[in-house]
Amino acid sequence: MRKIRVSTGVALALLFGILLLIAVVPLLPTYDPYGQNLSASLLPPGGVSFDGRMYLLGTDTLGRDMVSRLALAGQVSLFIGFSAVIVSLVIGVALGLLAGFFRGWVENVIMGIADLQLSIPRVLLLIAVAAILGSGVFKLAILLGLTSWVAYGRVARAMALSLREREFVLSATTQGATATWNIRKHLLPNVLPQMLIVGSYELGQIIVLESALSYLGLGVQPPLPSWGLMVSEGQTYLELDPWLSVLPSIALFMLVAGVQIYSQTFTSENDMSAEVVKAS
Amino acid sequence: MAYFILRRAFQSVLTVLGVMTVTFFLVRLAGDPALLLLPVEATDEDIRRLRSALGLDQSLIVQYVKFLTNALGGDFGVSLRQRTSALDLVLERVPATLELALTAFVLGILLAFAIGLLMRLTTSAKVRTTIMWLALARQAIPVFSFGLILILIFSVWLRWLPSLGRGTIQHLVLPALTLATYELALYLRLFNASLSAEQRQDYVRTAYSKGQSRTTVILKHMLPNALLPLVTIAGINLGLLLGGTVVTETVFSWPGVGRLIVQSVSQRDYPVIIAGVFIISLIFVLVNLIVDILYGFLDPRVRVA
Repeated sequence: MRKIRVSTGVALALLFGILLLIAVVPLLPTYDPYGQNLSASLLPPGGVSFDGRMYLLGTDTLGRDMVSRLALAGQVSLFIGFSAVIVSLVIGVALGLLAGFFRGWVENVIMGIADLQLSIPRVLLLIAVAAILGSGVFKLAILLGLTSWVAYGRVARAMALSLREREFVLSATTQGATATWNIRKHLLPNVLPQMLIVGSYELGQIIVLESALSYLGLGVQPPLPSWGLMVSEGQTYLELDPWLSVLPSIALFMLVAGVQIYSQTFTSENDMSAEVVKAS
Repeated sequence: MAYFILRRAFQSVLTVLGVMTVTFFLVRLAGDPALLLLPVEATDEDIRRLRSALGLDQSLIVQYVKFLTNALGGDFGVSLRQRTSALDLVLERVPATLELALTAFVLGILLAFAIGLLMRLTTSAKVRTTIMWLALARQAIPVFSFGLILILIFSVWLRWLPSLGRGTIQHLVLPALTLATYELALYLRLFNASLSAEQRQDYVRTAYSKGQSRTTVILKHMLPNALLPLVTIAGINLGLLLGGTVVTETVFSWPGVGRLIVQSVSQRDYPVIIAGVFIISLIFVLVNLIVDILYGFLDPRVRVA
C-alpha cells in the first residue's frame, strides 16, 4: 500500500509540473512562442539579452523564448494524445465488442485485421502512412488513433467473450433483447472501466510515438513546436547549447513518466499490465 | 507438432500477403507514380505513354495481381532517386539493422535475466525498489532523448565514444545501449511480475515446506515457469524493437534500413519506402514464427490452442 502511495505522489508531482508549464506559462505577459530575436539567440536558461530581458529557460537558434515554445509544444502533444486515445478507444471498443459478441466470421475478420496491423511495427506503419498522406496536427491525431485501436479491441473482445455467456445477457436474450441492446446496455458499461485503464496506458505510448514521429520530421511541422521536433532541432547544436535538446527531453520525460506511473497505480503490476503490453 | 508448425507457417504467409495488400493501397494513395517519375514539363502524351508502359491504365485488380507477382519475385520497382532496384538498396542496409537489433536484443534480455534473478535472490527491499524505479524511469524516456543524452555524456563531454556512423565496435556501443536499456527496462518489469505471480503458486509453498532453500526454490522451481511469458513477450516486442531501431538509426546516423526509410520519406522515394517497410515486416513475421514454434516446444498446451 505504501509503495502505491509513494508512486502516486511522484506521478502527481510530475504531472503538476507539466500542468504548470502548459497552463500557466501561456498566461504570462512574456508568452511568445514565435517572436524571433536574433540578437538574443542561444541564450542559456536564465540568460539576459542585450535589451535586458531575462529568459527563464533561455532561447533557441532564432532567439525564440524556450519556455513559451515548450508550453505550446506541450499543448500540442496533449491535444494529439487525447484525441488519438479517444479515436482509438471508440474504434477498438466497437470492433472488439462486435467480434466478441457475434463470434464467427465477424470475429475472424476483425481479429485478422488486428493481427495484420500488429505484424507491421507501429512506428513503421505510421512513417509509411505519414510519408504518403502528409502530416499535421489533425492528421497525426487521426492516424495515431487509427493505428492504435488493437489494444482496446483485443481486451474488449476477450471481455465480451465471457460477458456474453453471463446470466444477465442470456436472460435478456431469452426475453427478446436484440444484439444492439445487449451490446449497448450490458457489454459496453462492463468493459468501459477496463478500457479507460488501457487508454491511460496508451496515452503515454501515443505521446512517445508522436514525439518520435516529430523527431523524424514526419509529425508536427515547423513553425509549430513539438517536444520531439525541438529535440531534433537542438541536436545540431548539442556541443554549443545542449539545453535545446535537454529541456524538451525533460518535459517529455515528466509527462510520460507521470502518465505511466499514474496508470500503473490502477493496474499495479497484476496480470492486467501484462495483458495490455501483449495486446499493444 | 508438424501440424502446428504448418498451420503457423500458413498464418505467416497470410500475414505477408496482408502486408503486401496494405502496401499496394498505400502506393495507390500516394498518387500517380507516372507523375512522380516524369519531369514537371512532361506533356499529357508523355504521361499517357508512361502510364500504359507501367500498366497503370489497367483495372485495379489486374494491377494488384501484377504488383503481387512482382513483389513475390523481389521486384519493388526502381528507386526514384538512385535509379537502381529499390529492393537492392534496402537489402544492402539489412546487415547493419540486424547487427544493431540483435546486439540490443541479446544484451537487453541477458541483462534483464541477470538483474531480475539477482533482484529476486537479494533480501534487500531497498535494492529491489531502486531497480524497479530505475526501470520505470528508463521506460518513460523516448529512444531519441535517451540516445541524445548518451551522445551528450559519452561523445561531447567525456569524448570516449563516437556519436555517428558505423564501423568499429565503439560505434555500436551507444546505439546498442540506447535500444538495449529500453528492452531491459521492459523485460525486467515483466520478469519481475511473472516471478511474483509464480511465488504465490501452491508448488512454491510445497517446495518450501519440504525444507528447500530459497535459492533452490527460485532457481529450480520458479525460474523455468517464469521464463515462458518472457519468451512470448520478447517475440511480440520485436515490433517495438524494430520500430525503436528506426529512430535509433536516425539519432546515430547508423546506415540501416530504418534510416534509409526516413531519408527516402524526405525524398519522396516511394518504391524504397515500400520495399523497406515490407522487408522489416517480413523479418518481424519470420521471427514471430520462430518464436511461436519455440514456444510450442517449450509449452505443449500452445500446440492445441
